[in-house]
Amino acid sequence: MVEPIDRATRRWCLLAAAACALPLLMLVPGWLAAVLVATGLLAAYSERPWPAWMRLLLTLTIGGLVLGAYGFRIGRDTSCAGLLAMLMLKPFETHSLRDAHSLLGFSLFAPFAAFLQDQGPLSLSLALPAVALSLIAWSRLVPGKHASLVPSVRQAAASLAMAVPMALAGFWLFPRLATPLWGLPENSFSRAGLGDRMTPNEWLDALVDDSAAFRARFIGNTPPRTQMYWRGPVLVHFDGEAWTRDIGAISMPGPALQSTGATIRYEVMFEPTERRDLVVLDLPLTTPPQSQLNGELTAVSAEPVNNLVRYVGESAPQARFTDPLPGWQRRVALSLPPGHDPRTIAMARQWQSEDPDPLVLTRRFMAMLESDFKYTISAPPVGFNATDDFLFETKLGFCQHFSSAYAVFMRAAGVPTRVVTGYVGGHYNKIGKYWLLKGKDAHAWNEIWLEGRGWVRVDPTAAIAPENILDTLDDLQARQEAGLAGAAAGMLEPMFDGTDFLRRQWNQLVLGFNAARQQNLLRPIGIDEAQAWQLVTAFGIGSALALGLTLWFLLHQHRDRSPPLVQAWRALVKSLRRAGWTKEPSEPPLSFTRRVAAELASDGPALISVSQRYTDWRYAGRELTDEEQKALIRGLRGFRITRRNRP
Amino acid sequence: MAATRDAVERFGDRMAALALVRPKKPESLPVRITRNRIYVLPTGFGLFLGAMLVTMLVGGLNYNNNPALLLVFLFAGVGHNSLVHAHLIMSGIRLKAIHADPVFAGQVLPVKLRFDADGARSRPGLQLICGESRSDFELDANEEAEVVLDLPTQTRGWLEMSRLRLSTLRPLGLARAWSWLRPDSRLLVYPALELNAPPLPEALGDGDSPRTRAHGEQPHHLREYRSGDMPRQIAWKASARADRLLVREYESAVARDITIDWNAAHPLPYEDRISRLARWVVEAERSGSNYALVLPSQRIPAGRGAEHRHLCLRTLALLPHG
Repeated sequence: MVEPIDRATRRWCLLAAAACALPLLMLVPGWLAAVLVATGLLAAYSERPWPAWMRLLLTLTIGGLVLGAYGFRIGRDTSCAGLLAMLMLKPFETHSLRDAHSLLGFSLFAPFAAFLQDQGPLSLSLALPAVALSLIAWSRLVPGKHASLVPSVRQAAASLAMAVPMALAGFWLFPRLATPLWGLPENSFSRAGLGDRMTPNEWLDALVDDSAAFRARFIGNTPPRTQMYWRGPVLVHFDGEAWTRDIGAISMPGPALQSTGATIRYEVMFEPTERRDLVVLDLPLTTPPQSQLNGELTAVSAEPVNNLVRYVGESAPQARFTDPLPGWQRRVALSLPPGHDPRTIAMARQWQSEDPDPLVLTRRFMAMLESDFKYTISAPPVGFNATDDFLFETKLGFCQHFSSAYAVFMRAAGVPTRVVTGYVGGHYNKIGKYWLLKGKDAHAWNEIWLEGRGWVRVDPTAAIAPENILDTLDDLQARQEAGLAGAAAGMLEPMFDGTDFLRRQWNQLVLGFNAARQQNLLRPIGIDEAQAWQLVTAFGIGSALALGLTLWFLLHQHRDRSPPLVQAWRALVKSLRRAGWTKEPSEPPLSFTRRVAAELASDGPALISVSQRYTDWRYAGRELTDEEQKALIRGLRGFRITRRNRP
Repeated sequence: MAATRDAVERFGDRMAALALVRPKKPESLPVRITRNRIYVLPTGFGLFLGAMLVTMLVGGLNYNNNPALLLVFLFAGVGHNSLVHAHLIMSGIRLKAIHADPVFAGQVLPVKLRFDADGARSRPGLQLICGESRSDFELDANEEAEVVLDLPTQTRGWLEMSRLRLSTLRPLGLARAWSWLRPDSRLLVYPALELNAPPLPEALGDGDSPRTRAHGEQPHHLREYRSGDMPRQIAWKASARADRLLVREYESAVARDITIDWNAAHPLPYEDRISRLARWVVEAERSGSNYALVLPSQRIPAGRGAEHRHLCLRTLALLPHG
């Protein structure tokens, strides 16, 4: 049996579904989002069902568009967009109670799916109204009279507020899974981050990204800013155009390191990238949990980083590689693409014959860079002989050009060299006392192999004289933010620090929570590593407390809505009852107070007076001004039986 | 609305027959709904959402996706609170009184039930169901509500009310909270009236004095309306002038007493005979004459008026079933 729903109810349901779909809508490509919104609007305004064949045709078209938008790859993003398309098509057949129920139920999946892709503040803040509107829509589907807009919203807000204790108990105490039950779905696109590839002609993906890459805090000593090299993927293969990683070294265990100075401890909160690489401070002595250091000292996570990861690490700015360089690694680190860059190779051979010491070669190369080269992010493109073009023609470039050219030069001079990508520097947040590293802090530098010391970091970009730095990413950003806003950016810095600090706290408290941290949750009450049963007990206790709190709220949220004067009268009756006179339900107010007054010698007249005025107002229809009402309320509430008259 | 019953609701209704379900016996008024007799079960929609949440919970746990888990637990909290809220809506409601003006068997009996509730909470979205008839109402804080439930009647005599179900789907429609009411009140149903009955046996009884049917032509006086008076007796014009309902009272001194005799309807079967007698009682009352009812086991002396009519019809209604 089909129960139709009225138009107002349908509107509420569609509104709730739209609010649920919104966080997901922000994550699909723009044109697809536009198509889906148009479909949704069309569906919403079709008050009568369309013929089946038209709906089928539309569904197939939209399905095709969704698949096309993701290159016909079935991944998590594609499924999410598919869900979104379904939600947008569903209103075409939402005309009965049953349809409305299923629409509302399935729309709950939309914010959930959005969270799988993005856990940023935008998705989170969009989810909250979606939840509230869902609650309103649910209540609208209950038959009977309904409150108007404002009370509905207030009610939904109250239900949400009352659910918070329970939600928190569940969130912190519901036993978490230490290892996933099934694998994570592969995503069809990764987010910007350090990649497996570097081409001097193209920026690192990460560089164009102004969002946070990770936040780091030093425990104990803070190294100087110039030593803050956060190590990511290492690139060794060069084909004349692009630097790529070595497949062999990725699966190798990390080489042995011997620290020769003080070590530095730090904590990193790494934003999800959906790749497996993490960052560690150069040179890493420890490995983040559930990951390993590979042969190139890159930390690689066992699973793609889909959620915020938090780890503590230890590094040695000065460390020695104890093992010699394996032969095959040496071969790779010396190989150059045949036929490329003859001038660079000739120069390297020439310099090598003058003095083969790698340090001397480096010093000469750096001196050349310092005197002749300029840093700019808008470097002209280079051709087939990319290094020759850069070193002898354009002499303009940014970190990728410098590190690539240096590596080619050193390899030609017989020194094993490789390119390291990662992050450098960052912005210090004074409020939270941590470093924020964004995509634009991505950097590329080099390592050369020195016999007896191992891999040693060399950053050719650092050689550029400050006056030769023409155009940086910060300048670009300032230009994009245009005029006033750019100038104001400096003044807004404390505000920016504050919001980023809040973001970090949220990350730390909520997004980074997992099974491991849950185990430590009961430490304050003396349980070091909580077992499952202890967590279940804690969850039980927590939810019981939450339930108690809720009950208390539920019982107290209905305030007395009778007029203040009536409330004051009730208060008087109550106080008299405490003093020993109970008003019978059938007893008129005045007879009651007369009865009491008869037993009260000196307080009697006052009692009679207030109750007379009250009954006149309440039952005899006597009008009272606001002032008179207030006075009467004071009289009723203020009436006290003096001590000697007490029974 | 909500005419379809989902599986959970049917389950709940079927369980009502179990000996464990409260109230176990019919109870006398007033009936107060206390916590130990409120049942709460999710609706079909609630179960569907629950399944959605479980799926999302497993997914969220698997990926350790904290915002998703927060979302799930928030909804779980809302859902759980709605169960408690539904319980609180029901708890403390009192059925104070039941009243129904008798109708003739076969007609619909409008039963008036008066509810009130403890405390300052308002109780929205209440639904009262008895068999196939239902009625929606709500109770405001410190207010009373009168609910009319139209019950079908079939046979004369006492109508035992079956179980009444007082339920609510509020606040979110995720769960239904209900309580069974089994008031011991009995409702009277008059016998069905015979259709096309023969005219009143007016001249029955002692036939000495000449019959002067003066009904209608004779001068009459007006009196106040009393519950049970026939609408056609109301003097509308006079009522409008006096601003209160007035009823014509016929001078019936001249009318002869009518005796409605069990034996006068002789050849009819037992129940049909009761129907004919009931019809005659109604006719006799309408005619304005005094009438007496003679039954095999008892005799009701001649009389007139709403109370007399009720007495006669009640006696007929309560005759043992043959």
